[in-house]
Amino acid sequence: MINPQLQLTRRHFFRDCGIGVGKIALASLLADNAHAISNAAVSPFAPQESHFEATAKRVIFLFMAGAPSQLESFDYKPKLIELAGTPIPPSVIQGQRYAFIQPDAAVLSPRFRFSKHGQCGAEVSEVMPRLSEVVDDIAIVRSMHTDLFNHAPAQLLVNTGNGVPGRASMGSWLSYGLGSEANDLPSFVVLRSGGGLSGGAAMWSAGFLPSVHQGVAFRGQGEPILHATNPDGFDTLAQRDSLDLIRSLNQRQLGRVGDPEIQTRIDAYEMAFRMQSRAPELMDFAQERKETLELYGAELGNGEKSFANNCLLARRLAERGVRFIQIYHAGWDHHSDVEGGMVKQCKQTDQACAALIQDLKNRGMLDDTLVVWGGEFGRTPMVEASVALGRSQGRDHHPQAFTMWLAGGGIKSGITYGATDELGFHVVENPVHVHDIQATILHCLGLDHRKLSYRVSGLDMRLTGVEEHHPVEALLA
Amino acid sequence: MRYLYLACFLIVFGQVELTAQERQPVEFNREIRPMLAAKCFACHGPDESHRDADLRLDERKVAIDFGAIVPGEPDESELIRRITSEDPDERMPPPETGEPLTSQQQRLFRTWIQEGAVYEKHWAFSPPKKHPLPPISDTSWPRNAIDNFVLSPLETAGMKPSSEADPYTLVRRVHLDLIGLPPTPEEADAFVADDDPHAYENLVDRLLHSERYGERWAQPWLDLARYADSNGYEKDRGRSIWPYRDWVIRALNADMPFDQFTVEQLAGDMLPGATIDQLLATGFHRNTMLNEEGGIDPLEFRHYAMVDRVATTGTVWLGLSVGCAQCHTHKYDPITHTDYYRLMALLNNADEPEILVKQPEIQSKRDQIEQQIAELEGGLVKRFPPAAGERPIETRSQENFETAYTQWLTDARTKVHKWETMTPFSWETNLPRLELLEDGSVFSSGDITKRDVFRLRFDVDASMLPVSAVRLEVLPDERLPGGGPGRTYYEGRKGHFFLSEFAATLNDEPLALNAPPSEGNGGAAASNATNVIDGNGSTGWGADDLVGRPQQLVLNLDTPISQLGELQIELLFESHFAASLGRFRFSAVSANELVVPSGFPPGIENLVTRFDELDEKGHERLRQYFLSVTPKLAEARMPIDELRQKMPTFPTTLVMQERPDDNPRQTFRHHRGEYLSPKEAVDPGAPVFLSSDGSNNPSNRLELAQWLVSDANPLIGRVTVNRVWQAVFGVGLHQTSDDFGTQSPPPTHPKLLDWLACEFVEQGWSLKELLRLIVTSATYRQSAVTTAEQLQSDPENNRLARGPRFRVEAEMVRDIMLRASGLLSTEMYGPGVRPPQPASVTAVAYGSPKWNASVGADRFRRSIYTWKKRTAPFAAYSVFDAPSGENCVARRNRSNTPLQALTLLNDQMYMELARGLAKVALSNSDVEEETIRYIFRRLLVRPPESEELVAIEQYHKRQLERLQLGELAASDILGEESATNQQAAWAMVARALMNLDEVITKP
Repeated sequence: MINPQLQLTRRHFFRDCGIGVGKIALASLLADNAHAISNAAVSPFAPQESHFEATAKRVIFLFMAGAPSQLESFDYKPKLIELAGTPIPPSVIQGQRYAFIQPDAAVLSPRFRFSKHGQCGAEVSEVMPRLSEVVDDIAIVRSMHTDLFNHAPAQLLVNTGNGVPGRASMGSWLSYGLGSEANDLPSFVVLRSGGGLSGGAAMWSAGFLPSVHQGVAFRGQGEPILHATNPDGFDTLAQRDSLDLIRSLNQRQLGRVGDPEIQTRIDAYEMAFRMQSRAPELMDFAQERKETLELYGAELGNGEKSFANNCLLARRLAERGVRFIQIYHAGWDHHSDVEGGMVKQCKQTDQACAALIQDLKNRGMLDDTLVVWGGEFGRTPMVEASVALGRSQGRDHHPQAFTMWLAGGGIKSGITYGATDELGFHVVENPVHVHDIQATILHCLGLDHRKLSYRVSGLDMRLTGVEEHHPVEALLA
Repeated sequence: MRYLYLACFLIVFGQVELTAQERQPVEFNREIRPMLAAKCFACHGPDESHRDADLRLDERKVAIDFGAIVPGEPDESELIRRITSEDPDERMPPPETGEPLTSQQQRLFRTWIQEGAVYEKHWAFSPPKKHPLPPISDTSWPRNAIDNFVLSPLETAGMKPSSEADPYTLVRRVHLDLIGLPPTPEEADAFVADDDPHAYENLVDRLLHSERYGERWAQPWLDLARYADSNGYEKDRGRSIWPYRDWVIRALNADMPFDQFTVEQLAGDMLPGATIDQLLATGFHRNTMLNEEGGIDPLEFRHYAMVDRVATTGTVWLGLSVGCAQCHTHKYDPITHTDYYRLMALLNNADEPEILVKQPEIQSKRDQIEQQIAELEGGLVKRFPPAAGERPIETRSQENFETAYTQWLTDARTKVHKWETMTPFSWETNLPRLELLEDGSVFSSGDITKRDVFRLRFDVDASMLPVSAVRLEVLPDERLPGGGPGRTYYEGRKGHFFLSEFAATLNDEPLALNAPPSEGNGGAAASNATNVIDGNGSTGWGADDLVGRPQQLVLNLDTPISQLGELQIELLFESHFAASLGRFRFSAVSANELVVPSGFPPGIENLVTRFDELDEKGHERLRQYFLSVTPKLAEARMPIDELRQKMPTFPTTLVMQERPDDNPRQTFRHHRGEYLSPKEAVDPGAPVFLSSDGSNNPSNRLELAQWLVSDANPLIGRVTVNRVWQAVFGVGLHQTSDDFGTQSPPPTHPKLLDWLACEFVEQGWSLKELLRLIVTSATYRQSAVTTAEQLQSDPENNRLARGPRFRVEAEMVRDIMLRASGLLSTEMYGPGVRPPQPASVTAVAYGSPKWNASVGADRFRRSIYTWKKRTAPFAAYSVFDAPSGENCVARRNRSNTPLQALTLLNDQMYMELARGLAKVALSNSDVEEETIRYIFRRLLVRPPESEELVAIEQYHKRQLERLQLGELAASDILGEESATNQQAAWAMVARALMNLDEVITKP
């Protein structure tokens, strides 16, 4: 049998060596070989102690891929109406590179009316009527900025902390740093709607972290988890019979060879069987009350309702202990007709976003579930138009300023934080870098973003990079 | 609890060669440097910008001058005072950065200073020494030198190695290690029955000569090379670089010496008289990703690719994380910020073309077809519709042809103009390099941007006057992407160009141009030729349908040039992707009317204008041209058109090509590593700490490659043999095979590592000889059975007192099943193939590309040939920890998860192989026990034990019963209507056994 002292040593390594979860040079080795000990306490998903007390247990990140226009949603700039049709002064633009437009492009006025909502009086445009009803439960950050102005790199920056593929994603960091509370489900689940994603699978990769922490992308149709359905012709009994044979032969081999890795494999097969059995239950929306389905506008099997379905599914996953639920909704890249584009995307997402907040709140889950909404950058105050590309009345990529919102899990509610200049071009008050938001998310989960690190090729990698960044104190309740 | 920590430290990353009993003087490298690196160097190390109090502890002299260390006098040393201080303001390391040093660690510092505070170079930065074999008591055990190094510390610790693995285990193990495929039961039995005392050595020799060897060992190298078949980032389109992958397999099979293997991949293009193979070897550093997203700055992403190249070079050939010096001087290792960019400069002076791989087989097929076409063309006149009459049909055809040809020519002569080629006498651009070719055309190379400007100057001489129009010919060239004429290599179609504006001046006075008619000047509506003088950069001339063919644009002058002077033509290429021209030529004409393009290729137009002076050859060319276009022969030409359709094209591949001397690329230090913050230019060179004497300091890519495999690089042998050791034993002798820096834990067997490193070089850098040495050692041949005692004392097998046992790599998981199923195709090389996987895997990627699974033998090719898409890696591999090709991977994760179980249980791809395995088993024997035995042994090689047979037999019986009762349907399980219950039951058995841990584990 396994020497208990050895287990103690491993645990000691993680906890007591005084250099944080990931600081130990051989953490990777330990994490990999944690399997070698057939004891749940040292599985890579074993709950880990956080650095300090957490205000959130899990995260639902609503990532709006393609970059929704802040000027049509949360950042009202009447000055743009006044200046519409004239170029922005070069002094404002300062040599910024653009993806498509020339810097001397004319100003485009906001496409929607704005008004103040809720007790807090947050300004939201008419294109998001449902979200406007829950503004007292969210914190709007109008002073977001990022470093990158192309989709794939900027999406990777938000999701993995770096613009080049290959780093560990936020969900993997949390799975690695905190372990899992879901018995029969992955600790990090990815749900998608709205089309292809520029950043691709690298956005939920475990990168250099042990690969068990990578996000498991649920499939849009059929079984949610790849290969969670028996092969054709196998019923549950046949599957169980097969597993029993596999188990008994594996156990013989364990006795013969003594390699604890075999025990891990035996456990993995049992867990796989449980995942297979739990998946249909997870997807069974018939368990939901009619009012709940209506609140979200959810309808399983209806492709038009994918985002709403995913929001409801996210809540169900959250209930089952999944640590990080990453929802992607693509379709916000409005280089042309930003008005029509916003209407279309908000029609698909506004109700469900608001419903998620309300539903979590009604169930008392908003207190320990952190919800984050936002894209990879903002959009230009200038118009994008091009005969060659057939574009008009659109907006180009704008990394200098954009808006995100957060809710629940230790975030102050009913506040609007930060401000941009009168053109919505630059942040002028309380700038928040993408890394700051990541630091804030980790903070809510009880993790110090400076300490959550992992040694790879001699470098201590962190989600928030090497520059100095901070959790946004003003957002914390 | 502290003793636990230390005990653990020694077990997990202590050198097992050391013995605890003999208390030697404190060893700086083993005992002091790791503490300095972990606790002190962040603020008192090599990095100037983060250095506090001007104190650096990585250099002895500075530390002594500062008073931090007084050799021999610990009580006088500030370092000791600070690390033991109770005052939080004084204590080092500062309380907020972590825990204080333990008393044990403090004592070590004290003893070390007492003993004179001797510094040593970090072990990995000193050249390896070939230590004499250590003494051992049990001289019967070792089979070669490796074993002495392993046995000696075991004996010191009072331990014994394990007994030799049984022959079935051994034959499976060595097959998997050397060729990545298990032996068939027959092969295994033959080995077990072989009583030649050299049977094992002979087997090793045979396996090393197998072509499967190169396929197996290419995989870890391709992990390092971050090989994939797509470009990465958003669009992640396919790319053709498989000729590089094939080069690796061939080079490994030929056992190309590793120094040559290195030089050819890093700088094959720079070798004198470089062969095509040496050129395509440079694909190594072309495996970087390419961002094709709309509107990117191509040079920014080229910079990121360079960053990747530097990091990869560091990991592969130096075992160092030079990557951290991208942003600042390395905090722990002596690599400065400038060193990093010097290294980048060595790699940064190449152009990055896509070349045609003119394989002789394809060339001869092409020649054959050309020959057939020429023959058919020769007979075209005879096929001309004959004139009426009684004479022989050939005469009448000839007659009609002559008439039609004369008519055509007469007509043609009214359309053509006598263009004179204009040769520029000087030119300038924003960045690309222009070169004048012999035919008066201009060729562009070097870097291009989203806004390129070409300015060319011509002398207008008397013979040209008056100039009434100017013609721009855009010309294909096989050196250009897609064959040209444009240089677009990302986002747009390869070879595309987009001319936004055309402007001309004479003696600095602007020349007014007539809007070119769209007729005759190729191009679709949105990219019409008239756009080039509309003053709007976002419109222009150039479209996908112009790719690969010559085209022309004629611009008439409002007022003809009638005076001598200097004509300047400015071309602006502006688009959301880089799209300037690759090859073009200007000519001028004197005409009284508005000139429109004749529609003839320039060469033909030229012949027509000079008709009166033509020789017979010229006439013949014109006649041939006429034959190739006349509508009268459209039908007769169809076989020719068909042949052209059939013409096989050469595959392309990505290579490096050193730039010409007149166009060097400058490399700059980038503040904080940011692309937009270039600072001073840096000269190419090796990191200073490895080239302190300044001799042989490399100054270009070839010299860097040669330097990396020279004595000047103390890491090369260690890093290379360690990776091979890691592949065989699961863990390297130096655990962090990607980092040999000062912060890395020491090797478990440093002397063995050094001995192997020296031996490797002495044996002529032969990877096969290195492997032979390893797999014929007694160490390797040990049984992997782990006793409870071993599990307790050495769970990671750091002492190597037992054989290696671990789950094989992702690709090998599938290859084992392929081989067992009898379906494996052994066809080698060529473009990637697609084994089946659910459509949802690639549906997540940008544009939801389809995964059209290969059919026939391609479906069952070895996994090394699977088409690799970076943003949607093949699911059955990534679930088993295969990397995505996004960065250099020196050591893979090795996880053991439920998702792997789901894949092996339920993936249709594996079900298909299970059916195959059942089929071969049934064809082998219809005796039930024999069938079980056969399936079992195809997967596990060893014979089953009787209890195992019973368990399997019971399972089989039960499934068969359920099938017979109709509870299960054979046709569903086998996917065939005609399936029998027996067949289905055996497929179920095969599928269950494929899921055993032992199948996917190297025993």
